[in-house]
Amino acid sequence: MIEDRFLVWRFNRGDAAALCRIYEKYRDGLLKVAAALLNDRSGIEDVLHDVFVGFAQTVGRFELHGSLKGYLSICVANRARDRNRMARRQNTANWDNALPQPADLAGPQQVAMSHELVARLDAAIAELPDEQREAIVLHVQSKMPFREIARLREISINTAMSRYRYGLDKLRSILNGELES
Amino acid sequence: MTDRKDAKRMVESYLESLWTPGADQVDAKILPDTLAAMHKAKQPTALSSRLTWRTLMTSRTGRLTAATLVVGVALFAVFDSFTQPAWALADAIEALKDYRAVHVVGAFPGGTAEIWIRANEDKTHSTDVVVRGSHGAITWTKDGSTYHYEPAQNTVYFEHAPTIGMAQWLGPELLEMLSTAENTKIVRGKDPATGRRRVMLTCSLIDVHGAQSWVIEFDAASKLPIAMKQWPNLDRSGPPSFDAFKIIYYEDLPDSVFDVHIPAQARYVEKPLEIPAETVGTLSNPQDGISAEGLTQQEAAEKILRMTYQAIMDQDLDRFKSLCPLCRNWGDEFLGRIIFKPDKDDRIVEVLEIGPIGKTGHSPLGTIAAIPAVVRLKNGNKAEQQMIVQFRRLGDTASCVVHGPYGLPREIE
Repeated sequence: MIEDRFLVWRFNRGDAAALCRIYEKYRDGLLKVAAALLNDRSGIEDVLHDVFVGFAQTVGRFELHGSLKGYLSICVANRARDRNRMARRQNTANWDNALPQPADLAGPQQVAMSHELVARLDAAIAELPDEQREAIVLHVQSKMPFREIARLREISINTAMSRYRYGLDKLRSILNGELES
Repeated sequence: MTDRKDAKRMVESYLESLWTPGADQVDAKILPDTLAAMHKAKQPTALSSRLTWRTLMTSRTGRLTAATLVVGVALFAVFDSFTQPAWALADAIEALKDYRAVHVVGAFPGGTAEIWIRANEDKTHSTDVVVRGSHGAITWTKDGSTYHYEPAQNTVYFEHAPTIGMAQWLGPELLEMLSTAENTKIVRGKDPATGRRRVMLTCSLIDVHGAQSWVIEFDAASKLPIAMKQWPNLDRSGPPSFDAFKIIYYEDLPDSVFDVHIPAQARYVEKPLEIPAETVGTLSNPQDGISAEGLTQQEAAEKILRMTYQAIMDQDLDRFKSLCPLCRNWGDEFLGRIIFKPDKDDRIVEVLEIGPIGKTGHSPLGTIAAIPAVVRLKNGNKAEQQMIVQFRRLGDTASCVVHGPYGLPREIE
């Protein structure tokens, strides 16, 4: 987007207002990406904090290839993956925080999806391999084309699409399996 | 679940339902560190010379008021780029300088608005503003306060500061101040309906408020803008966000134009003190401002405001910018002309009083406070100006900076 290119240009000149604008523009979407990719949701703000502080430190030398939203989404995905791995290694993932509490669900979607179903989806998505989960979230939530996911992940488009398809298939399998049992 | 489409739909619903922390909470945690990281990392570079409009012409009391400001920007932002001989800037200034009042009629999504603005006798700043929306909303200034009436709520939102209007009336300072338009093009032609010669000017710019573009129509004979359209994008696509289809200039207007009548049962609610989110970043450099360690907020505010006015009286640009960092975005020549006013009778020569902290509010950096100051001008008059000070704690250090004026100055004697 041309607006993002201007904002990045101004950011690179040290314009704090441009950085604020970038932050405000993408904050909410990136929070969703973090929430969907993290096993422990108490880390959502930390992930976003690290991503934006890291981005801010590139002032004067940041080069935008592709979309800024895609770039920031991938940064969030990287941080989320690191945190999930660390938590797995330390076996300290706080599963009390991993699933949204009923009070956490708000808005019309709460009506559309029962808490039980959300909880099942939470668990099912958490079971997916990192790369499949990421492909689904980046494509569905961040609206990233497979081409961009492939470029930023340095994989082929087919691989990016396969991860997405396998992820969805596995989700269906998990949920259908639960239903049958 | 039968196929991938179902699975995708379910994932979409799931993602929409996901809980995330509230924006205020997230901003407070992330924004200060992000801005501090940028300030720490950045190399010294020339800052944008683009003007922060809102510091001089403040307020957004709803969409209607925003339309007023938009008109102000759009009408006058372009003259400086108006360099072709037949349309020299001097001609435009000459054409405008006799008029003390303006009437604009325009449409914005969802309605139309009529805007009346009148300047003081010296034509240095606006004193009266009324914006009347077709849906019944009215925004106006009176006795140094600003009011916005929302008919659906039968409520008047008010603040004790004149936060709509023009701190610079029509003239070279304002034109120079707003000379930010880019990609300016001029097309000459005739109005097929009237046969009058006209000049169409197109321009666009992008700033922290997003992309904007304009088409402004000038009357070739009078050199005055007579119509304007604004779009919220760079290529003028889609419906305009404001379409000022009538602009009339007056040498003066009767007081009755600015009379406002609202239902007696209307509720009055004071607006909270706020600063635009996009200016917060500029206030976050720890090297700007002064330390507030060991000082009460009142003491710190008084100290920084006295230092700021002293910097103005000393015409100390660097000091002034470090105390009031929003001004870093302004060119030195402009800053000198608009703030220091070395050759003008309304320049500040003495600080008479710094008052107690009045209204307070919060930004992501911390508490903000409005403090009244009374100064004497070279012409002997006194002026009252409320200033907003931002208190902040960056790292372990308490400090403060001046955000800028809260509303326009008022001559009180």
